[in-house]
Amino acid sequence: MPMLTPSAPSSASAVPAAGPADAVPPGLAKDLDQRRKGSANPLWKHRALYLMILPGIAYFLVFKYLPMGGLVIAFQNYLPFLGFTGSEWVGLDHFVRLFSEDTFFLLLRNTLVISALMLLFAFPMPIVLALLLNEVRTKVLKKTVQTIVYLPHFMSWVIIVSIFYVMLSIDGGSINNLIVAAGGEPVRFLTDPDWLRPMYVFQEIWRATGWGTIVYLAAITSVDEQLYEAAELDGAGRLRQTWHITLPAIRPAIIIMLILSIGDIMELGFEHMFLVMNSLNREVAEIFDTYVYTAGIQNGQLSYASAVGLFKGLVGLVLVMLANRLAKKFGEEGVY
Amino acid sequence: MRMTKAGPVVAATAAIALTLTACGGGDEADGSGEVSTKDSITWMTMLHTATTPEADAGIEAELEKYTGLGIEMQWVPDASKDEKINAALASDSLPDLVSLTNITNTTVRQAMASGQFWDVQPYLADYPNLSKIPEATLESAKIDGGLYGVPYQKPVARYGVLVRQDWLDNLGLEVPHTIEDLTEVARAFSEDDPDGNGQDDTVGFYDRSESFLVGFRSLAGYFGAGQHFEVNDDGEVVPSFTTESFKEAMEWYRGIHEKGWMNEEFVTVQKQNQKDGIAQGKGGIVVSGLFEAKNFHEAALAADPASPMAWALINDMTYDDVDRRILTDTNGGMGGWLAVPRSQITTEADLRVVLGFIDKLMDEEPFDLMTNGIEGVHYELDADGVVSMLDNSTWEQEVQPFGSSRPSERVTVFKTSNEYTNLANELMAQNADYVVVNPAQSLTSKTYDTQWSTIQQQVNDAYNQYMVGQIEMADFEAVVEGLRGQGLDQVIAEFTESYEKANG
Repeated sequence: MPMLTPSAPSSASAVPAAGPADAVPPGLAKDLDQRRKGSANPLWKHRALYLMILPGIAYFLVFKYLPMGGLVIAFQNYLPFLGFTGSEWVGLDHFVRLFSEDTFFLLLRNTLVISALMLLFAFPMPIVLALLLNEVRTKVLKKTVQTIVYLPHFMSWVIIVSIFYVMLSIDGGSINNLIVAAGGEPVRFLTDPDWLRPMYVFQEIWRATGWGTIVYLAAITSVDEQLYEAAELDGAGRLRQTWHITLPAIRPAIIIMLILSIGDIMELGFEHMFLVMNSLNREVAEIFDTYVYTAGIQNGQLSYASAVGLFKGLVGLVLVMLANRLAKKFGEEGVY
Repeated sequence: MRMTKAGPVVAATAAIALTLTACGGGDEADGSGEVSTKDSITWMTMLHTATTPEADAGIEAELEKYTGLGIEMQWVPDASKDEKINAALASDSLPDLVSLTNITNTTVRQAMASGQFWDVQPYLADYPNLSKIPEATLESAKIDGGLYGVPYQKPVARYGVLVRQDWLDNLGLEVPHTIEDLTEVARAFSEDDPDGNGQDDTVGFYDRSESFLVGFRSLAGYFGAGQHFEVNDDGEVVPSFTTESFKEAMEWYRGIHEKGWMNEEFVTVQKQNQKDGIAQGKGGIVVSGLFEAKNFHEAALAADPASPMAWALINDMTYDDVDRRILTDTNGGMGGWLAVPRSQITTEADLRVVLGFIDKLMDEEPFDLMTNGIEGVHYELDADGVVSMLDNSTWEQEVQPFGSSRPSERVTVFKTSNEYTNLANELMAQNADYVVVNPAQSLTSKTYDTQWSTIQQQVNDAYNQYMVGQIEMADFEAVVEGLRGQGLDQVIAEFTESYEKANG
């Protein structure tokens, strides 16, 4: 069986760092000579690269790390007019309140259940769709379908929820009109707590699946064509090829996406849920993100809301670390 | 391996892109002017219409000319005013002048009590219009004895019941004046095909998500419930949702919902949806401001010039043996505050500029501008001084947004060519004799200031759940009982104490 050489030499020479001396292309020899003399320190030597990353570092410092200082209000009774320095210091009071309120378990349950449903139903969708798209042989058809399934990603939740509202409403919504015309009872999609989760997950799938395929389609293009040829010679059909070649080949991509999704378990996002929530489905719809908003911004309990948000962030961090460790244990690369 | 090599380049590119975006989106709003040379005003106020009027043009330009000050309006959609104002208070990004129209907002009350806004009382006497604000209005605008903003002056009670007159005529029904008759009308509107199109596509009441605080609250008033709070026989100040009259009204209204005589999913209906639905003839009974009849009528005509819509305006609805009464929707004529933040306006000289601006807005000319618009552009006057609108959609776009920001709506009453407006003005004036106000409005309770938003939301949820049949009255009562331990009892105790102090 013919084997391919591990990697093309052109891609290996992109970065002038490691590698045995005999593999160094002639152009880099001078560079290496200089380094051997020890005249330049690496920071100065790669100043161009460091300079390029500087705006990025500045961005994260100013917009991500600096605002974290504001988290002190989670340990205070923060009042805007007294400021960070003047507000009363209350230690862990807000956390005690959070953990001792019934609301906490409600929030935790709702957040986890919806996240679990998302992982179970929404997460595999882009993989399935990417595999299906990969099998489409007509190039024009494939590109057209791809473009169409990307579209929902660019619609705001406001639009999507409004469209669903118009269709699902009991007071003259088209879906319910159909159900009634077919002799059924109207269904309270918008207000029945039992319908909230399916509706939420369905809307997420509708919006994100197409966009999610990009990562997997990119991963699939890197699969070596020769593997398919070889498999075909051995008599493997399309399904077998997908199962034994495509899927294992994109496994690292799947694992990374899974780790990232697990990190986001507590982070369902505020906008979508806020738009589909009303007082009739609140018991299953209230999640940490919406609660922070209601408590903090609407009811003005800034410190308490910060405590809730901080707790949520910490749980997310722990989850990412756990998932990453787990991935490494199973021999995958992980995200860091 | 390949990923790690491409890493730095990708990261750097992304970082640059992000930084560029961040710079591009930079906030250029410049907070304050220089001290003592103040020649412009930034004003954060509520927008009740779908779009904002053009800046530095039309009414705004005319107001600038009249007041001699530059004006920069910061329009906040009314539905999201609480979060916008809470956020502005928390981040100290307030303008020179803030309209605070939700007087129960906890954060606002705390901010006022802590002195974030100027106490304007000592200055009012120096201005021709501000000095004429009635003492009672000033009293009801005070918090802990301080007047932390110029009160908005509104008619004391603008609410009533609007019923489709053309539907009544089609069915041969009389205009209802009692809850009993209204119930029958709701039934007929739902079951007897009032629009005569042969389809079962109409209901009686057309309510929206704020039912508990707006539409239903007003209905409960007919049953005898108080305006948010009432003083019971034991001399306690209690929330009206704990009273028998309120629960009686709830039972009645749930019956309406159960029988399908109102829009079923009202909890998902927003204000604009409600207006659209009414304009499209989906429902024939609305509990709202009487002045809305004109707006509904015009919305219907805009959609279908041949619309037969006509409204009966009712301000004397009664129930059983309860005397005629109407709950105030404007806190007894006090529609909130025009507050001046100390963080922005730091000197007395600047404060006087802002107060002078408010004072001038209460003159007749700006009042006319903010009500009718510019003569010849938005309206014309006939020989009898009757105002008639030239083009309603232009008026809605350019003038109507300013209407709710008029510091006083009592400057004068215009005679207009619109019969609904004239009738509504007349009926709203009649309401004044029957108005029920909130006895707790000028009382103080620390717990109320910090907890009320939360308590009210939970009762609101329970009300909605009861209405659609998710829970029963016993469950609703249990929710209210549960709240007693979370501050409700304290609110009652503190208000009662404050009430006793105030009334000897």
